[in-house]
Amino acid sequence: MRDLTRRQLLQHLGLITAGLAVACTPLKVLTSAYPQAFDDDAELTDGVLRAFALTVIPSAPAGDPDLARAFTDPDLPFAPYAGFFASDLARRAGNRFETPFERLDVAQRAAVIREALAADGTTQKLYGSAILLAQVAFYAGIYDDKRGCELIGFEGGYHWHPLAAITHPDPARFLPEALTADGNYS
Amino acid sequence: MKTVHTDVLIIGTGFGAAAPALRLAQAGAKVTMIEKGPRVQTADFRQTSDPRYLLKYLRGTPGDHLSLTYAEALGGGSGFYEMVSLRAPSVAFDQLDAQGHRLWPEGLDRAALDPYYDLAERMLHVSQIPLAEVPKTGLVFAQLMKNLGYSVDRARYAVRGCQGSGFCVTGCVYGAKQSLFLNYLPQAVEAGAEIETDLEALSVQPLAHPHPRAWLTLGETPYRYQVICQRRTGERERLRFVARVVILGGGTVGTATLLLRSRTYLPLLSEHVGRNIAYNGSVKVAGLLPDGFPDADMFTGRTHPGMISYHFLQSHGITVHGVKAQPLMIVSAARMKLEGHRRVSGWWGEPNVELMQQMRHRMIVLAAFGLTPPGAALDVSEDGRARVVLPLDAALERYHADTRQLLESILLRNGCRLVETDFLDKQFEPEQGVHFSTAHQVGSCRMAERKADGVVTSNGEVFDYPGLYVSDGAVIPSSLSVNTSLTILANAERIAAGIIDRYRPSSRAPAR
Ligand SMILES: Cc1cc2nc3c(=O)[nH]c(=O)nc-3n(C[C@H](O)[C@H](O)[C@H](O)COP(=O)(O)OP(=O)(O)OC[C@H]3O[C@@H](n4cnc5c(N)ncnc54)[C@H](O)[C@@H]3O)c2cc1C
Ligand code: SF4
Repeated sequence: MRDLTRRQLLQHLGLITAGLAVACTPLKVLTSAYPQAFDDDAELTDGVLRAFALTVIPSAPAGDPDLARAFTDPDLPFAPYAGFFASDLARRAGNRFETPFERLDVAQRAAVIREALAADGTTQKLYGSAILLAQVAFYAGIYDDKRGCELIGFEGGYHWHPLAAITHPDPARFLPEALTADGNYS
Repeated sequence: MKTVHTDVLIIGTGFGAAAPALRLAQAGAKVTMIEKGPRVQTADFRQTSDPRYLLKYLRGTPGDHLSLTYAEALGGGSGFYEMVSLRAPSVAFDQLDAQGHRLWPEGLDRAALDPYYDLAERMLHVSQIPLAEVPKTGLVFAQLMKNLGYSVDRARYAVRGCQGSGFCVTGCVYGAKQSLFLNYLPQAVEAGAEIETDLEALSVQPLAHPHPRAWLTLGETPYRYQVICQRRTGERERLRFVARVVILGGGTVGTATLLLRSRTYLPLLSEHVGRNIAYNGSVKVAGLLPDGFPDADMFTGRTHPGMISYHFLQSHGITVHGVKAQPLMIVSAARMKLEGHRRVSGWWGEPNVELMQQMRHRMIVLAAFGLTPPGAALDVSEDGRARVVLPLDAALERYHADTRQLLESILLRNGCRLVETDFLDKQFEPEQGVHFSTAHQVGSCRMAERKADGVVTSNGEVFDYPGLYVSDGAVIPSSLSVNTSLTILANAERIAAGIIDRYRPSSRAPAR
């Protein structure tokens, strides 16, 4: 670490830890009134959320059963907002294109999302969080330790590689002069 | 409330706690360690990106212009670190404060710590990575530096039999990484120490006689402190530990938080508790390699890419590193888009997919760790929640801008295309302006020659509270420009030797 530095790019995990919390009172206020259907009809909500994920990651396999799972996963902090979020996508799609969000083509869906990202701060936060969650869940393959994400060549865990696959042949050719004898600078 | 008596109570089980636990137990003291995090061992680890797993062990302290990451589990950060184990260079010990005084107490420098570094390295089997095992990312980083005439060194690691699986930060499932529960902690237990996990220290309180009249051995020393603790599982019962000597090893955030929460009972504590946090001012940039460069495979080989450059240490006060990261870390840390990408949606949608598809083989991330001054402070609320505040000044902004420019120029002069990275805050909003993130925080209870300058003496003893020690990262008074764990461990070995010297535990009377 990283610092995540490594860890830091990552700051690594710090950001993960910090990052997966959608915390905000305005959201609670905002989400208090929306069509009940999005809480009662899991299929309706799932369809909208899958369409959202496929807009954020257009090359993701449409049939991936885990594509929208993170939005409603009770262990992740987005779940309380999933119904509202789906209804907001539907409302914006209706207002702009008079068509349900999940039936729009990818460019139209992207336009709906862009519009929301340009709206008030709370809406931006909600949509920003949803985009990040879709990306984290898909690219990192959070629901299957071994699966990873084929689209970006991430193999997930428990894949053994021989040394030859980890490094390049004749590694000495890459190295410039070293300043220390053993890696510790005095 | 149940009361437990012990000679030496140690809070935490990380690098700062492990050395005194082992040495004092070996010297014959009755040692009890308490750890707020869960017990972990090799068999508990997973090679996973599951946030629920990571959130079980990893914690973050957010803040203004700085955010901190650390682990809470048996072994502290050692279960999840990247095992980079480097000695701090002399220049780190020679840093001065704004008044021109040395940040480190007189007599404490690299030469003074070297014997303890030797000891720590032996315990953790630290060695330089063999050339044949340097991951592709490290070799490509070396090539970037070589092309510009800059030096690079192979780094050192606490590992034996590394398989290069690339999951160091979720815990090593092979038991290769030398986490403290493989060496110091079991050896301490073998020597008689007891370790309780899922038990949090809530406050430290002096008993009637904190100042013994004579120069007593440990057995003759009265019980001087009580520490009120609470279990974090089950009925959450409270326990009271009564000890002759208390050693705080809760880490830079944990120890300062505990002391700040104990201030009512410890009114003579220095005003410096929670202040003077140093953070190795880390700056990161990312780019895409031009055609013709070999594969920089981000996902295979050990998590740290194996190389470090000291080239700019004397001139700029920084070391430069390549960085590897898995998708979870990258995506949750930053919004990325190719520089100059006109579309607003560059951090999602097709353009982002295209970038993500290049991440494994073509993306290169550089980081600098710098000798930034110890300027951050913790702000702890009534309920124990901490925030960190780093006041920005012109010098710090200049450091950030100059360092960033240097790293970017390394990429650009090699023909790389820059990747714009907007780091995210706790609410997923891009950080505004300069923001540092680190797992190398130190100094919240720093060593000093006088109480007016710090919290503990150079021996780790809290000013005006004999028998109360701090031995973890909190006492390290400056940024190090390299990863922190080995220096914390070496210094904790030094503090442990001082405590043994002072209390001669082998001549103790048995604890009640
Ligand atoms: C992901 C990651 C990767 C890293 N990689 C590297 C690396 O490669 N090389 C390197 O040198 N450094 C690395 N670091 C930094 C390194 O881990 C820390 O510098 C080091 O662990 C700090 O040691 P410490 O003893 O100060 O505290 P810690 O190791 O953090 O230990 C403190 C312990 O005390 C416990 N505690 C705190 N408060 C209480 C309380 N009130 N009651 C009971 N217990 C308490 C905590 O739960 C924790 O287990 C990394 C850190 C992280 C998070
Ligand atoms: S890269 Fe090496 S040390 Fe890290 S988890 Fe894999 S085997 Fe363990």
